[in-house]
Formats: sequence, C-alpha cells, structure tokens
Amino acid sequence: MPRIKDNMPVIIMGVFLLVYGLIVNTGVLLPAMKYLHTHKSMDLQVMMSFILGGLALVGALINSAKEPGNSVFDRFFLQPLGGVIMILLMAMAIRWYLEPMVKIMSASLQPVLGFKLYKVLNLNYVVLGILAGVVLTNSYGIPKFAEAGVKCARFVLKMGVIMLGARYSFAELAKLGVYSVWLIGFFVLGTVFLVLWLGNLFKQPKSMTGVLSAGMGVCGVSATVAVAPVVKAKSTEMAYTIGTILSFGIICMFVFPTIGKLAGMNAVQFGAWAGTGILNSAQVAAAALAFNAVDIKTLKVAEIFNITRVLFLPVIVLVLATWFGKETGQKLSFKSVVIDKFPLFILGFLILFGMSSAGLFSPPGHYKGKYIDVSYNDRTQVTPEEWEVLNKAMAAGEFKGLTAEQMAAVNDLIHQRQIAGNYQDRNDKTKFDQVGRARMTELEGILAAAKAKTVSISAEVKSAIKHAVKQVHKKSKTVVTLTDFMIWFFAFGLIGLGMQITKKSITQAGGWPIVMGVISGTTKATLSFFVVLWLVKDVVLH
Amino acid sequence: MSEKNMTENKADANEERALSVFSSERNEDLTALVFCLITTFMVLLFTKWLA
Repeated sequence: MPRIKDNMPVIIMGVFLLVYGLIVNTGVLLPAMKYLHTHKSMDLQVMMSFILGGLALVGALINSAKEPGNSVFDRFFLQPLGGVIMILLMAMAIRWYLEPMVKIMSASLQPVLGFKLYKVLNLNYVVLGILAGVVLTNSYGIPKFAEAGVKCARFVLKMGVIMLGARYSFAELAKLGVYSVWLIGFFVLGTVFLVLWLGNLFKQPKSMTGVLSAGMGVCGVSATVAVAPVVKAKSTEMAYTIGTILSFGIICMFVFPTIGKLAGMNAVQFGAWAGTGILNSAQVAAAALAFNAVDIKTLKVAEIFNITRVLFLPVIVLVLATWFGKETGQKLSFKSVVIDKFPLFILGFLILFGMSSAGLFSPPGHYKGKYIDVSYNDRTQVTPEEWEVLNKAMAAGEFKGLTAEQMAAVNDLIHQRQIAGNYQDRNDKTKFDQVGRARMTELEGILAAAKAKTVSISAEVKSAIKHAVKQVHKKSKTVVTLTDFMIWFFAFGLIGLGMQITKKSITQAGGWPIVMGVISGTTKATLSFFVVLWLVKDVVLH
Repeated sequence: MSEKNMTENKADANEERALSVFSSERNEDLTALVFCLITTFMVLLFTKWLA
C-alpha cells in the first residue's frame, strides 16, 4: 500500500466514527445526550457513524492500494470521499454538540442579558456551519485530502433547495386573498429591482448585486443559495448576502414590534408587515411572538406571508436569469431563458412543491408537515381522567367569563370527548371539518385568555383542554424526514461554502453589500409598513 | 485584454470550478434532481407506504 500515508487522515476519521458509533450504541452517552436534547437522534447518530466510518475505511484502503484514475468511480467517490467525510463530521459535531450547547448557554445567559442570544444572533446550524468553514480555511487551511470533497458543496446545497419545496403547499397560498398575493409580489419584485438599481449606482459586480437582490427580495438563505449559480456568484458574495440579511433581520426583530405597538397595528396587520418586511423565517416568528405572544393569529399571518415570499423563488430566478444574461451581453429570448437557462434544480423545487401541494407527503393543507386532523377518531380522545375533570368543572360552573362560542366548544368537547365536527355530519366532509376547526380555534382562544388571565380556570382543566388541542395537531413523518434531509444538505453545503471564504476575498468585497442591504431593507420595511396599514384590514385569511 | 483582466478571469473560473466536481452546470443540476427524487421516493416508501 504505497499511498497509505496520504490516506491516514481519512482512516483516522473512519476509525473515530466507528468508535463513536459503538460508544453511542452502548448508551453511555445517554445522560449527556439528554442534557443536550439530542437523545432522540441516538439511532441516527449510530447509523450515520457506522455507515460513514465504514465508507471512509473502505474508500481509504482502495485509495491506498490503487493508482488514482479518472473513472466515474474515482471522480465522484474515491477522490471527494475524504472531504465529504470531513465536512459531514463537522456537520455532525455542529448539529449534535455545538448548536445544542449554544442553545443551552444562551438560555442560561437569558436572565442576565434579558434575551436569548441564540435567537437574536440566529446562531443556528446555518450560521455556525459557515463560521466553522471560515475558521478552518483561515486558520489551518483546507487539508489536501479534503480539497476534492469541498467541491461537492454547491451540488449538495442545490439538493437542499430542491428539498425545500416539500415543506410548502399551494393550499397555504390559497388561504391568502388575491390582493395579499399581489402585495407580496409587488414587494418581492420591487426589492429585487431596487437592489439591482443600487448595485448599478454603487458600481458593484453583477454577481454580487444579483445574489443580494434575491436574498433581500425573497427569503434570505434559501433564495441566496438558489440564485447564486444563476448569476455566477462567488461564495464570498453568497456569505456576504446571508450575513447582511441575518444582521438586518436582527435589527428588525427588535424594532418591528415596538413600531407596530406605537402605530397601534392589529394582530393581522402586524403579521402581514413582519412577514413582508423581515426576511428570515425564524426572525419573522420571533418578531410576531414579541408583538403578541398570546394571539396565535399574528404568528400565523406572518408565517403565511413569509412562505408566500418563498414561493416567488422560481419567478425571481427567471427574472434574474434574464437580467444576468442581458447584463453580460447575451441576446436572450424568452424561450432561451425559460427553457434553456432555467436551472433544473429550481424545477426540482417546483416538482417537490407540486407533490406536496397534491397531498403526497401530508394532507394538502399542511405547513411544514404540520396539519390539523379533526376527524372522528378514538385515538384523538382525551383521557378518561381528563374527561372527568372537564365534566366536573362544567357541573360546578367553573367556566365563567367565556364567550357563548367558547362555552359551546367546551360542551362539545365533553360530549364527544375530542375535538371534531358533529358526528351526524360526518359524511359531509367540508362541513364536518369546518365545525371541528372552529371548535379547536375557540378552545385555543380559552387557553390564550387563561394565559392572559382574563378568565380563570384550574390547572387541570387547562391541561385537559391543552391535551385535546394537541391531539388534533398532527405532524407528517414524511415531511419531517424530508426536512431532516434538507437540513443536512444545507449544513454540508454551507460548511463547504464557508471554506471558500478567505480573508483576502472579504477585503475585496468591502462594505458595499451591507450598505445596499440596509438601504433596500429599510425602504422595503418602510413602504410595506404604510401599505399594510392602508390596505390590510382585519380579514386577510379565508 | 490586459494581463490583469486575464488573471481576474482565471481567478473567477477557478472559483467557479472550485465548487463543483461536475463537468457542467447541467450535469450538476440533473444529478441533484435525480438524487433528490430518489431520496423522496425512499422517504415516502419508509415513512408512508411501508409504515
């Protein structure tokens, strides 16, 4: 084995993974994993460690024994293997150790700081992954054995974008009124063109302007990743865009709720504004909850506006492909953009979105795999003890201060022992579903009122109602698994992306992307504020 | 074309190549699409059809 020395790092990683898998399998690490809240991933940890460890050892041994060749097996498996294993090892360390530790640390710092550092700085696997890549490449440098593997990053990122389609459904879009969709479309396209204009004004590279416009217009990280290959953006430019969006979002997260309250916005108006003006889904949710933690409506509206933006992704890709083609002097017809230039991976996003909307992964009305099932079912009943608690409370007249609808919903919960439509209407699915959902909303209203202390119910009753509501909230295992794949693809791709960012490339770009990001973001936030106040009334949702 | 421009173009091409093991963008996209469809099928098989 003449080349065993060159392959030693891969062999060491392989042995490490196998030993780690064995240790996790014995259960010795269970207390630590429970502390980190990663114990649910125990099986996955064992499986991934064994498979990757085995592959690393086999690949390294073949590489040591055989002359390097140029076959498909060499180019796509043997050569990139070292780098792929290294990045996956880093992704595992980030997802199972670093991210949970950051979460725990920021939670313990909360009493001192008054906020969760993890949420505010958005220190999730996306940011941690890029940072890990940047730190490695600027300290030790990319090891020689990993060079070919790092080249897989963009390819894997594209797989992440395709998988993103599985999380959304057309039914969400249909919930919005027509003018809400126009509103979002106007702001998405408006921001894109504003950034393109600013880029021209500040004489920035086309690739930088293109990727930033998508990031600022659509939805942060995924749009950036999706558009980057279309406008031939460099990794530094992608990282700059992601950094600009996230830091702008952090400011918005604090400023939006305060302004919303000062302006006297209602729940729906604020949701619409946050969903339009803030770019990162996690930050949208944080702002909506900061504005109103009790009324779930704000968060729901914000999330729907937010995902509608994501669904503009294919349109923006087309617009930017045309723009980039024209800017670089190519003569492009509509046909050449739509058919020849349209990136196949965006088509993949659309295929998965289509499958998701057709209800292949989860009922068509789902959102990120979550859906409500109010069908008549033994399994969604409350426990006999909980039923007893509710029944006694009703007999004792404990439910005071509820609205007539809320009272009716509680009565029905006692009567049917679960949240569902009327049993006699079970053949008329639409009516049955509508009645069941309305009852669920009323019960959620009771819980919110109890939280806000406007009604007083005992802890047992609250827990029984909570359980009943929880029973009808389902989560599709298929979408959860597909999302897991997406997260791993993004983690892998972003670590690889971080590895392309050197000190030199950062100084080359200067501070212009941030200036452009701040100008376009502020313009969009201000304009959408007035438009929402003016146009959005209380009933946006059907 | 000046020497500086040529070096820049070369650097850009390197950056472009640096993130891909594929011979063309289309091959990369097509492979990503096929891999994702296979993944989706397998996930559906184990979490829905066989579960």
